[in-house]
Amino acid sequence: MNGAPAREPHWAAQKERGSFALMWLTALAVRRLGRRPLTPVLYLVVLYFFVFGRRARRNVRQYQSRLAAWSGRDELRPTTRRVFGQFMAFAESLLDRLDVWRGKLGMAQVQLHDPAGVRERLRASVHGGRGQILVCTHLGNLDVCRALAELEERVPLNVLVHNRHVAQFNRLQSAAGDRQLRLLQVSEMDAALMLDLSQRLDRGEWLAIAGDRVPLHDGRRVVVDFLGHAAAFPQGPWLMAGLLRCPVNLMCCLKIDGRYQIRLEPFLDTAEWERGGREATIARWAQRYADRLARLCLLAPQQWFNFYAYWQLADEGGSDADPRRAAR
Amino acid sequence: MNATDTAALAHTALEQEIAQLVIDTLNLEDLDAADIPPAQPLFGEGLGLDSVDALELALALQKRYGIRVESDAKHARDHFATVANLAAYVASQQAACAS
Repeated sequence: MNGAPAREPHWAAQKERGSFALMWLTALAVRRLGRRPLTPVLYLVVLYFFVFGRRARRNVRQYQSRLAAWSGRDELRPTTRRVFGQFMAFAESLLDRLDVWRGKLGMAQVQLHDPAGVRERLRASVHGGRGQILVCTHLGNLDVCRALAELEERVPLNVLVHNRHVAQFNRLQSAAGDRQLRLLQVSEMDAALMLDLSQRLDRGEWLAIAGDRVPLHDGRRVVVDFLGHAAAFPQGPWLMAGLLRCPVNLMCCLKIDGRYQIRLEPFLDTAEWERGGREATIARWAQRYADRLARLCLLAPQQWFNFYAYWQLADEGGSDADPRRAAR
Repeated sequence: MNATDTAALAHTALEQEIAQLVIDTLNLEDLDAADIPPAQPLFGEGLGLDSVDALELALALQKRYGIRVESDAKHARDHFATVANLAAYVASQQAACAS
């Protein structure tokens, strides 16, 4: 990337991913040897990551202080202990991911918070009906949702990932279970992809896509206010919803008092924009999403697993008005 | 008047259909198929469509005509330049699928 020297690398290109890879190795060893003997090892790795990951530490601190300031809750202010706690929460989520893929963590252990009955709609679409979009977040443990959807609910859920490495990690980990996730690696929204997604929805399949990370090679982003400061959010989920004309729901999985809670909620009943008002509509949806996400952060403040400089606005904004991108 | 001049003014049946599809897909309710001459640029200066419109249009074309719009950016740009180009593209894709 050729940005200003002060700029931090994009989350997908960060060197610190190496440390994450180390954690992954440990996590895979856990799979072989069991969770208990290796838990201290994983904690050591996290400690290492914490001590030497200056940048990640700083980013976590920034998130915590913004959450505290935005919510007016002083007890959320960053301390070394609280910053470390966020790293530990991440390590724990890795262990839990493996448990869920090994079938050790099932629907019975998970609490479902679904006042609007999204789960029923998910199940119903297996027997005809059109699929919908689930917008996910890196707050909490996404894999628990994915795994349970696949393993227990038998819901056809396509997970859209932007990044080759993410795709590899996910494959690695779903290989720990006996089923393969349907992972669609999406580098750019193009006509062929949209047709494919549209056909999947028509077959009753659902699409899961992250709403809180801007992909590396897609300049379609929208700046919203998140925890009181400007942050770039992706346009992708909202564009997709509008183009495919399908309802959007939010999904997250938070560990509260040692127990996972899957939260499902409807977000958009009909994703439509007025002619000429698309940009404004997408900006409105993204802002509403960011507001909702901020509220959810308060439920599990330390489970924000975005360790990169979240509020860094990229300067390379993609313009939608550029016809060279037409139909790509 | 030679064939090219006629093409620039009047729609063929397929062009008429595609112009209508453009209008329906993009909610250009204030327009009529006749308002989009086959040779008028759809993007930028002409009708003022953008890349997301193109995506929406590509999706509609694929569904309607059972074709696949390839992602080769350079060619896609040509194919989507005008209604006439779109009609020619759809016809060629349909022929390719049929054979």
